[in-house]
Amino acid sequence: MEQGFISKELSKKHKVILYAAIGMILAVVPHLMPNNYWLRIYTMTGLFVMLALGLNVVAGFAGLLDLAYVAFFGIGGYIFAFLSSNHFDIHLPFLLVLPLSALITMGFGFALGATSLRLKGDYLAIVTLAFAQIFKLLLLNLDRPINITGGVNGIFDLDPIDLFGLKIVSPVIYSYLIWFFAILVILGSFRIKRSRFGRGWEAIREDELAAEAMGVNTTWMKLMAFAGGALIAGASGTLFASFQDSVFPNNFDFPQLVVIYCMVILGGLGNILGVVLGAILLSILPEFLREYGAYRMMSYGLILIVLMALRPQGILGEIGFLTKGKRRPDKDETGVLKTSTDLYYKEGDQVDRDGWKPKYKVGDRPILELRKITMNFGGLMAVNDLSLTLHEREILSIIGPNGAGKTTLFNLISGIYPPSSGNIFFKSSDITGLKPHQVVEAGICRTFQNLRLFNNMSVLDNAKVSQFSRTRSGPLSILFQLPRHKKEEMETEKVAKEMLSLFGTRLTGYRFGQKAIFLSYANRRRLEIARAMSTNAKLLMLDEPSAGMNPQETIEITSFIKRLRDHYGYTILVIEHKLNVVKTISDRVIALDYGVKIAEGIYDEVANNRQVIEAYLGRKRN
Amino acid sequence: MDFYLQQLPQQLVNGLTLGGVYALIAIGYTMVYGILSMLNFAHGEVYMIGGFAGWWVLHLLSRGNAPIIHASLVISLMLIVSMLVAGLLGISVERFAYRPLRRAPRMNLLLSALGVSIFLQNLVLHYQGAKARFFHVSSLIPEDIRVFQIGNVVFSFMRILVIVVAFLLMALLTVMVKKTKVGKAMRATAQDTEAATFMGIDVDRMIVLVFLIGSALGGIAGALVGLLFTQVDYYVGFQAGLKGFTAAVLGGVGNIFGAMIGGILLGLIESLATTFFPATYKDVVAFVILIIVLIFRPWGLMGEKIPEKV
Repeated sequence: MEQGFISKELSKKHKVILYAAIGMILAVVPHLMPNNYWLRIYTMTGLFVMLALGLNVVAGFAGLLDLAYVAFFGIGGYIFAFLSSNHFDIHLPFLLVLPLSALITMGFGFALGATSLRLKGDYLAIVTLAFAQIFKLLLLNLDRPINITGGVNGIFDLDPIDLFGLKIVSPVIYSYLIWFFAILVILGSFRIKRSRFGRGWEAIREDELAAEAMGVNTTWMKLMAFAGGALIAGASGTLFASFQDSVFPNNFDFPQLVVIYCMVILGGLGNILGVVLGAILLSILPEFLREYGAYRMMSYGLILIVLMALRPQGILGEIGFLTKGKRRPDKDETGVLKTSTDLYYKEGDQVDRDGWKPKYKVGDRPILELRKITMNFGGLMAVNDLSLTLHEREILSIIGPNGAGKTTLFNLISGIYPPSSGNIFFKSSDITGLKPHQVVEAGICRTFQNLRLFNNMSVLDNAKVSQFSRTRSGPLSILFQLPRHKKEEMETEKVAKEMLSLFGTRLTGYRFGQKAIFLSYANRRRLEIARAMSTNAKLLMLDEPSAGMNPQETIEITSFIKRLRDHYGYTILVIEHKLNVVKTISDRVIALDYGVKIAEGIYDEVANNRQVIEAYLGRKRN
Repeated sequence: MDFYLQQLPQQLVNGLTLGGVYALIAIGYTMVYGILSMLNFAHGEVYMIGGFAGWWVLHLLSRGNAPIIHASLVISLMLIVSMLVAGLLGISVERFAYRPLRRAPRMNLLLSALGVSIFLQNLVLHYQGAKARFFHVSSLIPEDIRVFQIGNVVFSFMRILVIVVAFLLMALLTVMVKKTKVGKAMRATAQDTEAATFMGIDVDRMIVLVFLIGSALGGIAGALVGLLFTQVDYYVGFQAGLKGFTAAVLGGVGNIFGAMIGGILLGLIESLATTFFPATYKDVVAFVILIIVLIFRPWGLMGEKIPEKV
């Protein structure tokens, strides 16, 4: 959302002006504070901006409800206290401790992620909460038998920060230091959000299974979210410990976590500018409630309840004038209403006109081979001892009554379940038991029968997600905008736009920026296909591509599928119920019933097969 | 080792008492989870407010430290009022914080529950202060039955009261869920809300009922713990809630009978743990159990992979 108005449209010159303005403001503001009390709040605001943005990585970008976040803040703080005070008589310099504690905390984040990765939603929340409680209990009780944490009294008198001989003690310098890091985190957040990482996380938040099936390594990405959040929290903890010159268990307790959550939610999960604003508001406003004691925390509780009921997207989410360039989907550039016939027929059905010759035909080499695949769901044989061979650039249709095991077959090939027995070979290498994202990497991608688009992402981003497995930029090349990352981003955009434009103007132009959920049903089906194609797949598996389409749309999608092979050389495996479609596109047809292949051959053979007719219509009584 | 064996019967009694309380709390979690698939974060706060309700009844019915009416009446009133207050609180929380979010993503519901928890906790902090309130129970019970000993196991009247009340309520609930028409409707709603609607069950009413019963049981648990450990403060709900949830998870979330067993099991484990670890680490033991169970057997110790709900 904020991409629209913050970075893309800013030229280099504007950027320099923006940075200069921010720098000026940050240089001046500390001197405008009326007293040290407000200067302290100003500095703490910077710290909260960091903390909220760190939480925003885990909870906002990736949608993981991590309630141990405050423990990472604490770990960062205590590491600094351990390594830079009289407590253990270790006095490492700040410039070494800061990265060290951030990295160690990141390690803890990684470990927490690895243990709780399998859990979702409420369970993840409660496990992370239990971790946070254990952390707090350890802080409180590890002062006996040997004094490690200092117990309730914490650790104080930490070493002052020494930057190349310059001792930082003045509050103004601290405000510069902390806001400097806050700005770094803001900048990093923007960069990461607009990268393959940001898209991968957003896809996971929208629909984890679909993200995995489009090539996003969801396990790894979730770990990266935990680690990234912990890294920022650890660095904030270190800065906080030094700023406060002490650490206590109470600094890292549950209420603190709630405050940070409120900031992120007030701003809108995932919305960077919103979160920054939320952090600033909630650092300053409650100061005016200070005299009222418990009202302050009560108001945080109310903020959560009211926001969830009335504005779950946060204060900055989807405010019209901030998301410029967003046009009404039913109007064209000039604001004139489009008629629905325009949308359907403008492109026309040019495919089978003019008698152009197909570029590609069925090849001889097998590309996909299933050998004796069985899928046993606790006694129910969804697929039973099935073997099939798919040749290069072949269009093979799978038909069969409901419950015949067609979709299960797709799930097996795409790696969503490993088969109970048997092997799957793609381009003569064994892909049995690979995870879905690895199958995508090998070159197979699928669509979903029930449409599993990333509904709240733009059409273009839906397609861009698919390039995840084709790109390699790590966090460092993204954060520093290294040439590799820039090159990959350009390539990603090119592929995504190319694939979307295969459907004429239906998914292009103003539609690029439109959320997938606002597309018409048929367009969402088309986007499913475009998204699958954007993975650079060689083999497309289409699960009922024409389901729910009207006759006109069905004719169009039928010729489109044929064109995919004839014109672009894709190999296609398709499940379809409409026999007209099957008849038109298929080189070969396989009929399944109760997980068993009952017929195979060209369409006319299969359609007239006695067993197939029985499977659909039942057996005649003798 | 002899020392531990000698301690064992005593720890079993202590564990059973604690377990009864955990089970009562766990039932509230599990019933709500069964029907709404949400973790009611505020349930611990409901427990805490139940404890305060019990304290106020005792306080208002006492002059000095002695009750002004018969002690058995005081205790009964404490338990009944705590159930009523907690039950009504549970219903209002559902009405104002959860019902508007019935169709929202789960994360929103969870965050709203977190908000309710924080709100209630600080509401109590504001009106009741941070200091613990003491239950002057000594005058309620005649000295000769206050504490007594069988073999080398020490019983107290309150322990027995807690065990009896907890198990009685659990038995009642079991009968209600298994044998009555309302219980059947509740189980049906938990299994499939939509199908239950089509069969003519008023799902909203079932949800209210679940919140009423679950919260009432949580509330009475608060009052019982007050009588047992003689104090309550605004912060007890957090830990107790987490324990209750651990118990619910042990038994398989969504499964009422499991919650009872899970609660008792957790109580026993905790008391036994205190013989081996310093008492300060007893909570750590409970949370480690929670984490291990959730990671390796998220459907609970006894449940099948898809637990029978409610």
